[in-house]
Amino acid sequence: MKKSLLSILVLSSLLVLGGERRTAAQDDSRILVNVVLVQLNVAVTDRKGNYISGLKPEDFAIAEDKIPQKIATFEEGNEPTHRLVLSGPDGKMVEQTIKQTTQGTATADSPASIGPSITSSNVFILFDTSNYMYRGFVFAQDAIADFVRSLDGISRVALYSYSRDLSRAVPLTSERSTVLRGVRSTVAGDDAALYNSLLMTVKDAAQFTGRKAIVVFSNGPDNASLVPPEDVAELAQSTGTIIYMISTRDAQAEPISSAVFERMSKATGGKAYFAKSWKDEKDAFASIREDLAHLYSLSYYPQPNPNRGWRTITVKLVGENAQKYRIRTRDGYRVLKPAQIASAAGSPASSDPVAK
Amino acid sequence: MRYILRRPDLLALALTALLACPPVVWSQAASSRRLSRNSPGGSSVSRAADGVVIPGPLRSFLRMAGISQKVPAEEVMPLLARNVFMQGYSQQKPTEFLLLLSRYVQQARELRILAGSSGTINVRGCGDAGTLLQILGYRVVGNCQDKGLTLATSNPDLAFLTIDSGFPLMTLEESLQKGVEFNYSFPSTRVPVLMRESDWLALDRKRSADNLVDLMVREPGIARLYWAMSRNDDETNLALARAPGLARLLPYAPVLDFYGSEISIRSGRVLVPGGAKAEPVWRELAGAGPDNPGEFVSHLVSKDNGWLAAYYDVLSRINVSQQQHLTEPARMKRLYEAFRFPQIDPPATASVFRKAPGLLLLFTRVEWDPDGQPHVPGGIDLWKEALGQKSDYKLVHTWAKRARGWNNSEQLLEAMASLSRLDTDTGPLQAYLTLSEIDAGRPGNGKLSADACRLLTKNFQRFGTWYLVFSEFPELNDESITRFMNVAESIEGISNVTLRGNVVGAMQANVGIWQILARQGEIPAAELNDSWMKAMGPFAKITSSSQLFDAARSSVSEVMKSAGATNISQEALVDLMAGPPQQTAEGQRIRQEIGTRIRNVFEDQRLVSLDTLFGLSDGLAAMAQGAPAQQNMLALAGELREFEMPRPIFTNSEKISWAPGVYSTHHAELQVKTDLTKVIKGPGTKSQLESARGQLSPFLRDALVGLNYAYYEPPGAQVLHNNSLFVRSHDFSGLTVVSTERSWMPPELMGVGTPAGGGAYLMGSLSDLPYALASTEQDFIAPENIQALIWKELVPDLLVSATVPRWWSISPHELHAVTLYQRSGEELLLMAEHDAALRGQVSSILANRMAPQRLETLDKSLANNEDAIAILAQTIPADTFYLAAEYRRRYPARVASIGPQNQQLDTLCSQYPSDTTTQRLSHDFGVPHPVLARSYAPGLLYVKPFPSFGGASSRLFGESWESNNLYWARLADEKGYEPAALNRLVPELTRRMTAKIFATDLEDWPALERAMQEAGQEFMQGKVTGFPSATTTTLLQAPDGQPQIPASGGSR
Repeated sequence: MKKSLLSILVLSSLLVLGGERRTAAQDDSRILVNVVLVQLNVAVTDRKGNYISGLKPEDFAIAEDKIPQKIATFEEGNEPTHRLVLSGPDGKMVEQTIKQTTQGTATADSPASIGPSITSSNVFILFDTSNYMYRGFVFAQDAIADFVRSLDGISRVALYSYSRDLSRAVPLTSERSTVLRGVRSTVAGDDAALYNSLLMTVKDAAQFTGRKAIVVFSNGPDNASLVPPEDVAELAQSTGTIIYMISTRDAQAEPISSAVFERMSKATGGKAYFAKSWKDEKDAFASIREDLAHLYSLSYYPQPNPNRGWRTITVKLVGENAQKYRIRTRDGYRVLKPAQIASAAGSPASSDPVAK
Repeated sequence: MRYILRRPDLLALALTALLACPPVVWSQAASSRRLSRNSPGGSSVSRAADGVVIPGPLRSFLRMAGISQKVPAEEVMPLLARNVFMQGYSQQKPTEFLLLLSRYVQQARELRILAGSSGTINVRGCGDAGTLLQILGYRVVGNCQDKGLTLATSNPDLAFLTIDSGFPLMTLEESLQKGVEFNYSFPSTRVPVLMRESDWLALDRKRSADNLVDLMVREPGIARLYWAMSRNDDETNLALARAPGLARLLPYAPVLDFYGSEISIRSGRVLVPGGAKAEPVWRELAGAGPDNPGEFVSHLVSKDNGWLAAYYDVLSRINVSQQQHLTEPARMKRLYEAFRFPQIDPPATASVFRKAPGLLLLFTRVEWDPDGQPHVPGGIDLWKEALGQKSDYKLVHTWAKRARGWNNSEQLLEAMASLSRLDTDTGPLQAYLTLSEIDAGRPGNGKLSADACRLLTKNFQRFGTWYLVFSEFPELNDESITRFMNVAESIEGISNVTLRGNVVGAMQANVGIWQILARQGEIPAAELNDSWMKAMGPFAKITSSSQLFDAARSSVSEVMKSAGATNISQEALVDLMAGPPQQTAEGQRIRQEIGTRIRNVFEDQRLVSLDTLFGLSDGLAAMAQGAPAQQNMLALAGELREFEMPRPIFTNSEKISWAPGVYSTHHAELQVKTDLTKVIKGPGTKSQLESARGQLSPFLRDALVGLNYAYYEPPGAQVLHNNSLFVRSHDFSGLTVVSTERSWMPPELMGVGTPAGGGAYLMGSLSDLPYALASTEQDFIAPENIQALIWKELVPDLLVSATVPRWWSISPHELHAVTLYQRSGEELLLMAEHDAALRGQVSSILANRMAPQRLETLDKSLANNEDAIAILAQTIPADTFYLAAEYRRRYPARVASIGPQNQQLDTLCSQYPSDTTTQRLSHDFGVPHPVLARSYAPGLLYVKPFPSFGGASSRLFGESWESNNLYWARLADEKGYEPAALNRLVPELTRRMTAKIFATDLEDWPALERAMQEAGQEFMQGKVTGFPSATTTTLLQAPDGQPQIPASGGSR
């Protein structure tokens, strides 16, 4: 029972609009939006870009549409044991330890803990195998394989590839060797539908608990997508999914993709890299690995907010840290309904492709 | 051309020779049994008299050659040949595809040597791995027997081959890390060759090739001949090899490729379409008689730049009944003369697709009057006028002049045959076909009047795509047609572009809703005309936005009332669209689910509900009459403002610069700016209040359009749920992108692959919306097979066959009848093994559905008494259904004696005659044929699989695939599901099937069948979760009374 409750609550980091939507024609009263939990991944750096560790919940101040929020959970990096501060409806602060299971769910030492788990980290790698990538295909594989090997603190990794269509080469798994085999099984060819594929990857990621990050390794151009990057970015923001983007091109070579890569990754709390060389690619992966290892994860139950559209989030450091350090996280979200975040793998009847 | 399989598409060098390295094993799939079950073309093992060696594992070679890894061994060489001539050369230079294949073969040869006599690559450790890694293009990084050891690229060209061919690099890496032996079986594989390898090598005048693979890759012309002949039956091929011989046929390989697969030679005679009575005409046309096959075929393919062969091919593909009409000697000759008129240039093989798909359509669908003359809707004089209409084609003008002296319908048919060579979708032939379909559905005393036909032909170029609704609902009389034309004409006359776009959208959306409710039987047949008139009428004279709002509201209300609604609300409309009320709990649940799906799309598009819009309009109207603002008005107005544009990533100037020509989101942006709070807070003048009501019309348009979109949501849809501008961006006029208005043309998908353009959207009308949405959403289905891609020319048709038909009024008896028809067909096949007379009857019936090659293979299997699975593997569900239905029609007295399945069917038909007619089953379990039959009405046409064409005719192949719904229905019946469950099962199973398709070429129907069977097997094995539970499970009984694997018919 505890586990299922946890799943329900943590899943709601996806921000689900509760209940059936009713129109004002039916009821003149405003609808209260039932948002269960908002999860934030926050990178804190100094002016030189060095990660700052050791901060406490009270060092952060969160507001949503300028409404101050109370932090419900807090953790730092990929440490297996985390400090959890529960701030339930009664506002009482309780410290608990959450242990991560291999399934990516979480259990608490105390039976009283029904708070959400954010202790597992899931990384989806989205590999561009379109014709655009053809010339550097094998080097890209090498770089991705190195990255996969290096993800020590990450619970699970999935490998997807795309050209015109998405291929779920390896569903989320804790078996690194399976992922590596998947990397070496990818094949090249055809058009590039990056944003279509990224949208489906975000949706798949949204099905899972814990911290979610997507690492896109792409040559950049998109000549086959139907959804615009704006929609993908919004969905990623609303589901709390960080997007890191590595372009194998110079930023100046393709201004449209460069703009998207920079702005989309920034909006989701991630980063963009433009790797002109094999070494740049390795450096980019190393940077992502570092970033993932140093993120703070905070969550809060939103205070009553009548806004059913875009909600702006601001996260600040308080006290002396406010001036010294910089913060990177998503800047808002839109309340979603279950149908919007249902996995793209199929209808609700679907049982595949990714193990929960 | 789009690929079905992934492969790099860059230019390259030539292929080097292959080396056949012993030992060689025959492909596992090369056993006679397997071959007969897996042959895409139904080719038998007898053709595998010779073999050619492929170095390395077959799977790797197939990957590099762009061939599905699920094909049987005997299809390897034909598909290699096909891919070489289709993809291997560009401007007479080898492409990257061919270069990679060449390099791979070299690499495989080296690995074969490394594997030695054992056929296994063996590496005992790092010290032993050097040669292998050099061949593979990789190097060791790190220390041996250390888990930190990795393999990294050293030679990217070789490494690419290693990866792309599927070499188990990770296994090698892990072996080196652990210090254990690496063993990889690397056998060469012998695959069958058509006729003898030496026959083909003899065609190579340079004598430079050592083997067939080498020859094919170097000589695309020979490859094309090989591919063409691989589509023929054995007896025909042997006869052709004797005379005229491969060398004489070689120059005509393109003709044979496009138009040769229906040539059939039996016992030294060409079986020409039309049979013996047509032979003299064929002799005259070709210049040689069918009794001299070598000369006849040689003349056929060389005559008139291939056009005679094209004509022969079309006549061969149509059913016997149509053949009898069209091969009347005098008619056949005149039709050909018209077809080749006025010139034979360009050749019939001048493009990458077959020419003149219209001729096959015409000959497949032309209707005949009782006197044996071609049916002419409206009479011959009408068509003289129609040909005289404005046209961009000289050939049309030529026929218009000729038509002045016409006095019979034969002359019209000849003109249509001639016009079939025009590359247009809106010419006189398309008008004739469409009007013929409308007339065909009408009763004898209710045919189209000359005036109605005149109106239809006159407006065909503008409104023709909307005539499909008149084909689908023949109950709509001439008055209804006239009303539509008048309203459409009136709308065309609206000068304000924005208003016109909104009127077009609202009117078409309401027609769409009418169509949905009529198709679901919720508008009674007797009410169709009346409801149609009421739906159309309000749009007749629109001059302002507020008028449009009232018209659209009145129209949709009338449609709802005609379907029995008393409460005009959004929920009531969704309730109607979800389907008619159901009696069973399961039916009610599924109907509720479908309603929820419609609501989800509506909400995800962030559309404003009809209730809100109607409430606001009423409130504003009351205020205009002096009443105070109602209490909830501000809240209602607030709902209009809930829609927000997506958070921008690009600036406006970036969009203009980076997405030029892509439609802006002007319509949506206007809505964002709409704010009625000021006028509600008042005081507003009457004019202001009326203007405010007018501002609601774009919202109403979008709501009505959105409901149409939602109803036709394809399985696995993503754009509908994630691009909230998709409905609002529907560009009816298209004037921002193209110079001619598109308001009544089929919708086109725009803005694909334009990241700064705000996402894809549809431009044009709603006339072909189910297909357009399926085209939009298809690429969100992720293929399951590595290297597979979504088959763009086919998948939309599959999805349409799952979204348009609904199964609300099916009785369990009817559902079971579908099963029994298929089982009875299978039983007939199995009984025919032991009964020569029955075999002849079966063969005669299936000749209407099978090409000569397939039929020959089936005949051989039957004659050889092959096992049941092998026999049934030769057919697909539409074959067995048709076989049983046609056998019952031809031999009603013999049905009961065939076996238990036929007996059961006979009993069921006797007990429930109305539930079991083939007409009813066709209507309920068929698929829409908007191109083939100019109608979205589901049905079974029992045609042979159409070949692939270009343009809109590319849909013909998909529309001729009619097996899915029959098969899904059978599975549902055998699993004990209620018929209403099909409304959920069919879309999901079709989606799963789509993900499993692993095809190589554009006519790869065996790949469809494999995917269908795989999806079905998963379902039968309970691997598809989330479906409502079944009540009972019926067991199949084989003719001998033994239990049979459920739904084995057609399994491969």
